[in-house]
Amino acid sequence: MTPRLEVRNHVRRHRRLLDITQQDLADQVGVTRQTILSIEKGKYNPSVGLALRIAGVLGASVESLFEIAGGDA
Amino acid sequence: MNERAWSRLVPNVTGFVAAGLVALGVFLWMFVDEGLLVVAGLGAFGPGILREFGILKDQDEFQREAARRAGYHAYLAGGLLAIVILVFLEWSGADAGGGGEWVGLVLVVLWLSWLASSVMEYWGAQKTTTWVMLAFGFFWALFGLAHVVGAIREPGPIEDLAEFFLGLGAVTLLVVPWFVLAWTVKRWPRPTAVALFGTALVLLVVFIRPFQPSGLPMASRVLTTVLLLGPFLACGIALLTESARDDGRGASEAEGE
Repeated sequence: MTPRLEVRNHVRRHRRLLDITQQDLADQVGVTRQTILSIEKGKYNPSVGLALRIAGVLGASVESLFEIAGGDA
Repeated sequence: MNERAWSRLVPNVTGFVAAGLVALGVFLWMFVDEGLLVVAGLGAFGPGILREFGILKDQDEFQREAARRAGYHAYLAGGLLAIVILVFLEWSGADAGGGGEWVGLVLVVLWLSWLASSVMEYWGAQKTTTWVMLAFGFFWALFGLAHVVGAIREPGPIEDLAEFFLGLGAVTLLVVPWFVLAWTVKRWPRPTAVALFGTALVLLVVFIRPFQPSGLPMASRVLTTVLLLGPFLACGIALLTESARDDGRGASEAEGE
């Protein structure tokens, strides 16, 4: 059985660099603000599709937004 | 007030409508007619059913994930409570009204729904339906084989032999359709789903007839109906929804090319 991977993300940092609110990001991505909040807090790992949409809005690559904690990937 | 501010103020219209229906249903149940609790049921379960069929698309993936976890917790809590009630009724001897049978029915439906949903999610509707049909086919084949073996062990006059072959023919008729359906699932999922609904209807009207008076308690008759019809209805619905999902995926892939 594959061990559960802990994923760390930098969505908040990238969002703040662009000076947009969680609500703005949520509206552009098409989810609720609560979803963005949960992703930023690391409570929820988005699907690949949603990760790609977030990366597209923030103008960053998925790899720069999400990484496996411990850096073994 | 602009549209975005309004959408934040009223975050989920479905939730408000559902809560309104539940409140109305409870009011009607208490003061008008107990049967009108059905209105509360529409509010409590209607949105979830519409979402599962893909008709209502008001949730993002995080909300769906939360709903799935909530559903699993509800399954564990409901199942555990049902077991506790059943054991209590059994040990205390308090089941004078036959309530235990109804609790047992709820427990069976809970567990079978969970099992079917898990397998469908893991294997997909087509593979699961194929195996369900094969299981039905092998069950009836074994049933028929037992009949044949029983007939051979008790040899009789020529009339009995004719009856034996007649019985064998009937058993073959009983067995073959399941294997045919197992074969058609992957080739024609939608017609197979319609055939499954038809089979369920025939079983209900011709063989089970749960609402006709019989010596069995109502809960037992409903349980028999659920056990016999449930697999067909679950497989049929899953085949249709999976086909619709595949169509949507195919259309979006075609757009992307």
